Amino acid sequence: MSFSSKQKLAAAGVAVALALSPSAARAHLVTTGLGPVYDGIGHFMLSLDDVLPVIALALFAGLRGPAPGRHALFTLPLAWLAGGMTGLLAGNPPVFPITSFSFLVLGGLVAADLSLPSVVVTLLTILLGLMHGFLNGAAFRQAGSDALLELLGVMATLFVLVALFAALVLSLRRPWTRIVVRVAGSWIAATGLLLLGWSLHKTG
Amino acid sequence: MRGLRHIFFAVLAGLLVFRAVLQAHELQPAYLELNQTGPDTFHVLWKVPARDDLQRGIRPQWPDNCRVTSDPIIAQAGNAYTERFTLSCPGGLEGRLIGIQGSMAALADVLVRLQRTDGTTQIARLTPSQRSFVVESAPDRWHQAATFFRLGLEHILMGVDHLLFVMGLLLIVKDRWMLLKTITAFTVAHSITLAVATFGYASAPLPPLNAAIALSILFLGPEIIRQQRGETSLTLRHPWVVAFAFGLLHGFGFASGLTSLGLSHAEIPAALLLFNVGVEAGQLFFVLVILLLERSFRLLEIRWQRWAEMLPAYTVGSLGVYWSLQRTIILIKGLL
Repeated sequence: MSFSSKQKLAAAGVAVALALSPSAARAHLVTTGLGPVYDGIGHFMLSLDDVLPVIALALFAGLRGPAPGRHALFTLPLAWLAGGMTGLLAGNPPVFPITSFSFLVLGGLVAADLSLPSVVVTLLTILLGLMHGFLNGAAFRQAGSDALLELLGVMATLFVLVALFAALVLSLRRPWTRIVVRVAGSWIAATGLLLLGWSLHKTG
Repeated sequence: MRGLRHIFFAVLAGLLVFRAVLQAHELQPAYLELNQTGPDTFHVLWKVPARDDLQRGIRPQWPDNCRVTSDPIIAQAGNAYTERFTLSCPGGLEGRLIGIQGSMAALADVLVRLQRTDGTTQIARLTPSQRSFVVESAPDRWHQAATFFRLGLEHILMGVDHLLFVMGLLLIVKDRWMLLKTITAFTVAHSITLAVATFGYASAPLPPLNAAIALSILFLGPEIIRQQRGETSLTLRHPWVVAFAFGLLHGFGFASGLTSLGLSHAEIPAALLLFNVGVEAGQLFFVLVILLLERSFRLLEIRWQRWAEMLPAYTVGSLGVYWSLQRTIILIKGLL
């Protein structure tokens, strides 16, 4: 049996969607053996459904300039902590496919290189932090782990990731390099579409 | 390298969230050695750091077919508590699970070494998340290598005092050439003493060693202030000298992670090499992240407040004072 390139692409898409599926990422938390802070870092870095939207946000903030980059750098970890604490207290994560929308919106913004005011970038940052932090907190609660220290590990990672990716975009001088960033954004948005399709398929 | 000062916030936040930050964790795993003396018999050495909680709170867990067949010979020397006894396992150990149990098993690391009569060995590391291992019929050399590499990597990543010292060095160097010399000097120096101590040519008792390492951190606090004020000193002109001198001390600290295991002479070279590579990889990663963050902060045009600029020096100094006092008290208590 041979497969057409469209079928192969579709299969690859489903594989990506499955790999990024938040329910899979939440199924178990990472145990590094180095304590809860490193466990939090490991959990975050291995949860692509968290990492990719954060990278998309950092890229978008970098595209908008140093000021939005700075705001995202300091706002995101705090919003994530607030969301995480709420998730810890509230309990079960929502069924609504939040991560798909994060991929779509943030990836789409990067791809479009949309010129938004700094305050809107900050609002997006807060929204992302609250929503994904909430999911993290709920996952830590379900796992019964040392959640606060794990959240602190996640915050430290967020700070480093946003600083590095936003600064990377700011360092790009040639016009074609910005196009590369936008292409990366379009891939993230496309992944969001796949994820959304997958979650609708599962619920429908 | 003035900009490095600014990223201290980020690193400090990372360091301070460690529950054990004020204890500046030293990795000293317990050690379980099984020497096969017959088809079904093993001579066992069980060695744990001489702490009451560890002595009582952690024990090996044997497969169902194994029985201890001799009274344990108990000894306490230096920092270690040891037990030696004979274990009989009819049917052998291949494919069986060996683990650790007890109230401290969720907190302790244990390095296990199984020496067979055919000369092959199996090395495994038991951690709170991996409290048992399966005895293999043939040893996996890659797994053994990874065990020592990971041990070294963890030693530096959990050694908050070592990382803080490296951070202090990064804060006083002025340019990239000086940075290269300083980090190289620290690496060479701690590699020397790590090797010397692991081969058993020299040793440093832990209490004074830990106090001296704390003093090395305390030493850097005023130097960072001097650097900020535009003053100069021998340390600021030649930070690599300080890095080398104190690096010798830190090397003895790193060695505690290996010497406490009581490895055989034949195993030491490979274990030492891989452990050191793990330590260097962790250190290099830390330095790389710091340098990348410094560049990122410049590109993001972050302007720090004056008090924030002063914070690193005072934090390094304060933690240095705290650890120095704490460890000196432990040292004095040990002498009385």
